[in-house]
Amino acid sequence: MAANFWTSSHFKQLLDAMEVDVVHSPDKEKGLTPEEFRLVKIHMTNYIWKLAHHVKVRQRVIATAVAYFRRVCARKSMSEYDPRLVAPTCLYLAAKAEESTIQARLLVFYIKKIYVDEKYRFEIKDILEMEMKLLEALDYYLVVFHPYRPLIQLLQDAGMADLTHISWSLVNDSYRMDLILVHPPYMIALACINIASVLKEKNATAWFEELRVDMNAVKNISIEILDFYDTYRTPSDDRVNLVLSKLKA
Amino acid sequence: MGDGGRGSAGKPAWLQQYDLMGKIGEGTYGLVFLARSKLQSNRGKFIAIKKFKQSKDGDGVSPTAIREIMLLREISHENVVKLVNVHINHADMSLYLAFDYAEHDLYEIIRHHREKLNHPINQYTVKSLLWQLLNGLNYLHSNWIIHRDLKPSNILVMGEGDEQGVVKIADFGLARIYQSPLKPLSENGVVVTIWYRAPELLLGAKHYTSAVDMWAVGCIFAELLTLKPLFQGVEVKNPPNPFQLDQLDKIFKVLGHPTPEKWPTLVNLPHWQNDQQHIQGKKYDNPGLNNVVHLPLKSPAYDLLSKMLEYDPRKRLTAAQALEHEYFRIDPIPGRNTLVTSQPGEKIVLYPARPVDGSTDFEGSTSVQPSQPVSSGNLVSGGVPPGSIMNQRPVPRQMAGNIPRMPVPNVGSFGIGPQAVMGNMNPGGIPIQRGASAQAHQQQLRRKDLGAGMQNPGYPPQQKSRRF
Repeated sequence: MAANFWTSSHFKQLLDAMEVDVVHSPDKEKGLTPEEFRLVKIHMTNYIWKLAHHVKVRQRVIATAVAYFRRVCARKSMSEYDPRLVAPTCLYLAAKAEESTIQARLLVFYIKKIYVDEKYRFEIKDILEMEMKLLEALDYYLVVFHPYRPLIQLLQDAGMADLTHISWSLVNDSYRMDLILVHPPYMIALACINIASVLKEKNATAWFEELRVDMNAVKNISIEILDFYDTYRTPSDDRVNLVLSKLKA
Repeated sequence: MGDGGRGSAGKPAWLQQYDLMGKIGEGTYGLVFLARSKLQSNRGKFIAIKKFKQSKDGDGVSPTAIREIMLLREISHENVVKLVNVHINHADMSLYLAFDYAEHDLYEIIRHHREKLNHPINQYTVKSLLWQLLNGLNYLHSNWIIHRDLKPSNILVMGEGDEQGVVKIADFGLARIYQSPLKPLSENGVVVTIWYRAPELLLGAKHYTSAVDMWAVGCIFAELLTLKPLFQGVEVKNPPNPFQLDQLDKIFKVLGHPTPEKWPTLVNLPHWQNDQQHIQGKKYDNPGLNNVVHLPLKSPAYDLLSKMLEYDPRKRLTAAQALEHEYFRIDPIPGRNTLVTSQPGEKIVLYPARPVDGSTDFEGSTSVQPSQPVSSGNLVSGGVPPGSIMNQRPVPRQMAGNIPRMPVPNVGSFGIGPQAVMGNMNPGGIPIQRGASAQAHQQQLRRKDLGAGMQNPGYPPQQKSRRF
C-alpha cells in the first residue's frame, strides 16, 4: 500500500474525469454553476496554501489537505459542507495524517488573521466537529500519493534535474485542478515534465519513448494543465463571497 | 464504512448493529469492548471495538487513532488484524474502531503455559505462530510499514471459527510508513516496552528501520520457547527518553558485547560513544544464547533465532529471509491453525477466553445491576475493584451463543481478586494498559513471588506500557 500505488486505496478510489466536476443537486438547486463550483474549489485551494504558510507545514501536508478537500467536494454538497470550514479542517486533518500535527487553536488564530470576514470565522469546536465529519466523508481513506516523489525520481532518470524547479511549480499548480482525484500521481508528474521540457526547449522525446507509458494520456493531462493556465485568474474574494452567498438559503 | 447518523433515542444508529457484551480492556486512549454483530451479513460474529476518546489537549481525534485508521484502511493480510468498521459518535466526539475479535494473544498463551500448565508450548505451535508472525511482518515490511511495537500482547491468535489458531498482528498505533526516515518514538513522547527494543535504538540510533521489528520477533521467539521474556531490563523512567542501560546489560549478558568489527556502524551510535565506561566497561561471562533458550548450537531453531538477534541491523535477518529458513522446512511443518497439534497423541491445549466486564457500557460508565449491589463506579479510572461484576464467557467457544449475563458472584471475596481477572484481559486486536489498581496488585503478587530472593523471578507486568 504505502509504497505501492497500485494496491493503495488512492488508486482504487481514482475517479472518472466526468465524476469530479459535477455540481451536487442541493447546490445546483440553489443555482451554483459548474464554473462557480470550480471557482470555489480554486479559491479554497489557495486558502489552504495561505493558511499552511502561516502555520508552516511541509509541501506534502498542503498537497494532502487539498486532495482531501477535493475528494470531499466530489462527494458532498457545499450547502451541507461549508467549504470555508472544510478547507481549514482538511489542513488540520492532513497535518495529523502526515505527522506534523498543528494545534486547532493556532489554526483558528491564523484564520482570523487571514479573513476578517465573519463567514470565515470558526471556533475550535467547529473544526473538531468537522474533522469527524471529514473522516466519514473520506470514508476513512487517508493515504494520498503525490507527484512530487515520482517527479524527482523521473527527472533524475531523465538527466533533466535542471527542470526540477519549473516542473515542481507546475505540480504545485496542478492542485488547483482535480487532477489528483483522476490520474495516478506519476502521470501528473510526467505531464509536468512534458510541459517543462517544451517550455525550456529540451528534447525529451527519446526518454519518454523509452518509458513506455501511455503518451497520449500524458499529453492529454499536459493539455488540460495548459488550458487551465490559459483561463486561470485568481478568484477575487468578492466574487467567491457572492457565489457562496447563493448557497446560504 | 462508517456512519454518523443518529438513532431515535439520541444514540448513534450504528450502535443498533451490535450486542454489546462488555469491556475487555482499557488503555490511555480509551476502552475496548467485546460485541456481537447483529447485521445480517455478520450475524453472531464477535467484534472487538476500540473506543478512542477525544484527546485531552482539546485537539480532536488523537493522531494515534488517525494513523492507525490510515494504515489499517490500506492493508489487508491474513496475518494482520482486520478493521471491519469505523464508527463515530458525534454527540461525544468519540471514535470507534471495530475489529474481527481474536480470543487469544501470545501474552496470555505464554502466561497460561507458564503459570497454569507448567509445560512448554508444543513445537508445532511455536513454529506455526512464528511463521505466521513473520508472514504478516513480511507483508508489512514489503509495504514499507514498520510496526515499532511488536510484543506478545500485540500478537493475537484467533479463537474458534473459520480462522481458528490464525495469528493476527495488531495495534498499529505506532506503526509508520517509512518512505522518509522515521524519528525515534521517544521524540514524540511515546512510551513503549523496552524488553523488545532493538540494541541500535537502545544505543541511541536516530532512525528506525524494519530491522527493529525483527529484533522483537527474535525476542518473542525465545519467549515462546522458554515462556520467559528473553531480556527483562528494568526500565528507567526519568528523564524523558533516558538511556536504558539495564536493558542493554541484559542483552550483553546473553549475547556478549557488540564489537565494531562485527557491527561497523556501532561507533556512530550516540550512547556507544558517550556512555563508554558504562557499556564497554563491564565484562560478562557469556552464558550463550543457546544455554538460555536450551537449544543445541547446531539446531535450525537456534540458527534462526541467533540470526534474528544479530547486533548489526544491516546483517539481521529480514522477515522474507526468515520465512525461507531451514527451521520451517523440517518437521513439524508449520500450519495454519497454530493451536492444533500435529502429534496424534498430544493433548490439545484449551486456552482460557478473555474475561468480559459486562458492567461497562460504550460510554464507559458502569451500570449498577440489581443483582450485584457492590458494583462500583470507579471501574474506568481505577481498574476493576473487588466485587465488580465480571461476565465469564464460557470455554469452549461454541457455547458462546448464549453468553450468560450472569455475574460471577463475589469474585473478589473468593480470592480471585482484580489482579487475576484483569491480568487475563486483553482486547481483540488491542494491547491494553491495565487498570492502576490491577497493576498494584500484580506488583504485590510479584513481591510475594520474590520470596527466594531472586533478582527477577516473576513476570514483570508488561501491561505497564500496554496501550491502545
